[in-house]
Amino acid sequence: MVIEDVVIVCECDTYVVPQDPDVYKPLIPHPNPDSKPLNSTEWSSASVPSARTDEQALLTSILFKTALNIIDVSAADSQGMEQHEYMDKARQYSTKLALLSNSLSQKKPLPLPSLTSQPHQVLASDLVPYSDVQQVSKIAAYAYSAISQIKVDAKEELVVQFAIP
Amino acid sequence: MGLLIGNNKGNMTTSALTQGLERIPDQLGYLVISEDGVLASAGELENDEHTAGVIMQMVRTACRFRQQGAAEPPFKRMSVMLEDYVYTVTVSGQKVFVVKRQNNKREPVMV
Repeated sequence: MVIEDVVIVCECDTYVVPQDPDVYKPLIPHPNPDSKPLNSTEWSSASVPSARTDEQALLTSILFKTALNIIDVSAADSQGMEQHEYMDKARQYSTKLALLSNSLSQKKPLPLPSLTSQPHQVLASDLVPYSDVQQVSKIAAYAYSAISQIKVDAKEELVVQFAIP
Repeated sequence: MGLLIGNNKGNMTTSALTQGLERIPDQLGYLVISEDGVLASAGELENDEHTAGVIMQMVRTACRFRQQGAAEPPFKRMSVMLEDYVYTVTVSGQKVFVVKRQNNKREPVMV
């Protein structure tokens, strides 16, 4: 058996596709662009994943991207912020948030499209024939029955033991 | 000019809307609903805000249907068919019109 794909699912990750690509931009620009978020020395030299084997490069790039997104609260070299810096930042964030939430609250529900310019005529015209309704109900019943008969046909074991001599 | 039973605000626009609905044969009642609420109601649907709310939700959902890449919803009228009666629903000029009609299950007799 040849393994074609290995998929690693990390349960702690949830990916949401944002409508707005700006959603990943920091709210306020980073005051100290030279500071490093992680303590590990592995990342200090590698700004680009080095080209080793294909798998190794792929793994490295995944780890690199994850590291960029992780906020490490246990980082040893966390910068101590002074009280005024902290208050400053808090004020900047709330100003920016207030600005953004203003523009968000202006969204209105979608207006209803107009289906006709002759509502009285449309509503007065003949009702759907009862035979049509019966036919559609029959078709729906058949479809329901067919769907309820869908089953998994297990052919072989999902998990196998490798025989290592 | 017919007398409207229901919460008619008495302006000409509303009665112009409802005159045509009143004349629908076999109608048992009707509703005219806008974004702000019920504009007019009569018959078995008089003051029926609950039905108005449910139908508004159904209309909003149905209006989201689109055929492949089309700009407009693919229907002119929505019929909610129950045992003895039908709610026929359409949208025109930002207003939802609902008429409750008798559901005649018999096939028309060819003479």
